[in-house]
Amino acid sequence: MSTTAPETPQAMTGDEGTIAIEMRNIRKAWPGVVANDNVSFTVQKGEIHALVGENGAGKSTLMNVLYGLLRPDAGEIYVNGKLAHISGPRDAIALGIGMVHQHFMLIPPLTVGENITLGREPVYNVDVFDTAKANANIRELSAQYGLAIDPSTRTSDLPVGLQQRVEILKVLYRGADILILDEPTGVLTPQETDDLFVVLRGLVKRGKTIIFITHKLREVLEISDNVTVLRRGKVVGHLVTKETNQEEIARMMVGRDVLLRVEKPPAKPGEPLLRVEHLNVTSEQGIPAVRDLSLEVRSGEILGIAGVEGNGQSELVEALAGTRQVVSGHIQIGDAAITNIGARKIRSAGMAHIPEDRRESGLVLNYSIADNLIFGHQRDDTFTWKGIMLRLQTIREWAERLIKQFDIRTPSPDIAARALSGGNQQKVVVARELSSKPKVLLAAQPTRGVDIGAIEFIHRQLVAERDSGAAILLVSAELDEVRSLSDRIAVMYEGRIVSFEPADATEERLGLLMTGGGQKQEHASA
Amino acid sequence: MAAPQAPTKPAKPGETSMPVIWAKQLGRLIGAPIGSVIFAFIIGAIIVLITGGDPIQAYQGLFCGGIGLFCTGDLYSSITPALEISSTIVFATPLIFTGLAVALPFRAGLFNIGAQGQLTMGAIAAAAVGIHYASWPGFILLPAVLIVGTLAGAAWGGIVGVLKAFTGAHEVVTTIMLNYIAAFFLYYLLRGGPMQLAGQPEISANVGAGAQLPHFLNGNGQLFGQPIGVYQAHTGILIAFAVAVLFYILLKRTALGYEIRAVGQNQRAARYAGISVKRTLIITMLIAGAFAGLAGGVEIAGLSHQLTIRYATDSTGFDAIAVALLGANAAIGIILAAFLFAALRVAGPVMQGNANVSQNLVDIIQAVILFSIAANFLRTFKIRLPALRQTPPGEDAPMVATTVTELEDTEPSEPAEVGDTA
Repeated sequence: MSTTAPETPQAMTGDEGTIAIEMRNIRKAWPGVVANDNVSFTVQKGEIHALVGENGAGKSTLMNVLYGLLRPDAGEIYVNGKLAHISGPRDAIALGIGMVHQHFMLIPPLTVGENITLGREPVYNVDVFDTAKANANIRELSAQYGLAIDPSTRTSDLPVGLQQRVEILKVLYRGADILILDEPTGVLTPQETDDLFVVLRGLVKRGKTIIFITHKLREVLEISDNVTVLRRGKVVGHLVTKETNQEEIARMMVGRDVLLRVEKPPAKPGEPLLRVEHLNVTSEQGIPAVRDLSLEVRSGEILGIAGVEGNGQSELVEALAGTRQVVSGHIQIGDAAITNIGARKIRSAGMAHIPEDRRESGLVLNYSIADNLIFGHQRDDTFTWKGIMLRLQTIREWAERLIKQFDIRTPSPDIAARALSGGNQQKVVVARELSSKPKVLLAAQPTRGVDIGAIEFIHRQLVAERDSGAAILLVSAELDEVRSLSDRIAVMYEGRIVSFEPADATEERLGLLMTGGGQKQEHASA
Repeated sequence: MAAPQAPTKPAKPGETSMPVIWAKQLGRLIGAPIGSVIFAFIIGAIIVLITGGDPIQAYQGLFCGGIGLFCTGDLYSSITPALEISSTIVFATPLIFTGLAVALPFRAGLFNIGAQGQLTMGAIAAAAVGIHYASWPGFILLPAVLIVGTLAGAAWGGIVGVLKAFTGAHEVVTTIMLNYIAAFFLYYLLRGGPMQLAGQPEISANVGAGAQLPHFLNGNGQLFGQPIGVYQAHTGILIAFAVAVLFYILLKRTALGYEIRAVGQNQRAARYAGISVKRTLIITMLIAGAFAGLAGGVEIAGLSHQLTIRYATDSTGFDAIAVALLGANAAIGIILAAFLFAALRVAGPVMQGNANVSQNLVDIIQAVILFSIAANFLRTFKIRLPALRQTPPGEDAPMVATTVTELEDTEPSEPAEVGDTA
């Protein structure tokens, strides 16, 4: 995959006519924090420019300034060489700037055509939506850019990769020449990512300019021509992609050397600790989400679940954790059956759970760090006298110990979890869950939205937990994470495990299995 | 969030010290309520001014009539400050109970509009026991009256909790309906029903002497030129303080309170942590109902000594919502807010009678207080102090730049999801 960078159509002469965007000395501060500190950022016409940095480095702020969502405190923006005053997205669009947001802004029940033309609908008889004309326009547009899509499909019926294509078309429909893509690959499978890259290269060939926000270094190397690295609101480097490598970019982003690969000794699996047999679980809508699933995780092993999001992983984890009803099947920890006995009892049976969404499910953001560190254990004898009065002193000492042990960066355990960075919030969850000395650990997206330094730390903790004898079930949308952490990989597709693979399975093979390829035709009816 | 916990270790150099953080938290907590009150008084003054009155005189009337301050001059020669204070205490007592009854469910994410009905049922049950067992000695009868009132309120609140937990029925709807049921039940009892005192409209018999809470001032003499009997402040206020302390301990120091707050803050996370949300909601409403029911019992035992229509028609249970809101759902805040509202109520007639300013001003002030809290617009005027998490990443910042960005990775400060508005 990642071999040569695509050719740059225009030579970078530095001539005014070749510069699409120039942001000069942009400053944006909130009380006490400088999100963009004197940032200068230049994008050539017809290039793919990667903007990288950790969470909170100021990437989004900078792009929101460019798109008119935020007003900078200082600095100037030049679009195609002319000073621009962008006071809202409307101005940005008029200047030919379009933004594809990380979270899609589509209306699911509407058709593709309706979504794309939304706000600029072709009409007849003054106000009747002209479906035929809209669809014709879109067909023309998709032919022009090689973005095949059927305008009459309902948007909600499309897979994520195609929904993103709708977003891109929407931006093109509004006449954008400069496209900002905010973390566009976060929700895509490897194949969809490849498709996206083909599309992006095609757009560049047709004269578009692309700003690509990401923190995935492999993609930076694969797709971009130039890289701008932000750290703590400042530009720390401009790099030509061809002349750099992952290590250099990572070092710039984090400010120190980073271990990109997980170091782990070979697993020494013991007896099975988590056993799941013929499990069936339904989704919120009552649709079967987990189908006849069986698996086993042994002591001292990490079983990784690979799969495109929405193939039943979340429901599987919730069923195991006891927050979702099991329709049929059997789950046990060691010799104890835990099927449908409730989250509390499952916890006491030795299950710990790092939920996939820490802000929604893992933390009470307004609670202090100390309170969050006992969450779920608030009635344990350690923390409560006779199940009634909290032992505040013990809780505090406990919190101070975990904060130290898990390197949670905070001035005090009394700070609300809300005030912590994503990485530190996740450390709070990980600390709490690991500190209960679980037999089985469910780790769902354990490093989602976490910066590189914290990812490294959390990975080390998970491996250490494995080596101390826990059975770990890892669910992650990051294929890299699954591959580097797991001792075995189970590929999940449409609620079933379609294959158990060794840890060194190739990305291509896993990607194929994740999208339903390579399996027998028996589930075709689904 | 209520008052900050006890301060602990001194801050290390270079850290944002906890006292500073707490001061800011406290500021954030009490800024809005205090600002709202000040704002309301300013608006009130303007209204008095443009309607041709004298704001200073009006507020002198309010202070004199509410808390017995500034009762100088001829206008107020007829006012007995001590009596005004006594009356304010009388009004504040049920407001504290019911304010707590609204605040506790608030903490669990429930909006208890039903303190009124819970109070009504508590009063009915308390009066029934007090009348029926009137001959019992006080040391049994008084506790019995208060306990039965508490239980009746708890049951009335519990219904709401059970419905919420098992059918998902919205508590706002169910509490309003239960308020009606309680009110009409009271009307039935007192209008020709079993509790009506023969030949008397809309009142019951008196409870037994043993069922009565002692007043602070007893005897037949005179005090400040008034018969002692008119100083109605009763020891129920002490029970109210005790319940407020209980409320604080429950929320801040017990595992149950921890769970109640967790359910209110993040139900999903609570479920993930193994907390039974249903159980927590039911218990919360039981306790809230108990607080309001006790208010009914205390009013019967301490003030009216008989059941009257007032237990359904006055606005205590609704003023309680205002009290809880102004008091930021914290024990101490509720006590202060209850006294404020009580003082305004008591002062209204004084202001009208002595300062010749319509007592509707009281309603206006109350309304503006609530309006400005609810609309939350005073934030716009706040002095922009750097918030806690936004420690500038400078030389002396707590997080030395050895590793990753810390503390600055907080989305809330920026409108991240403004969306494509074009």
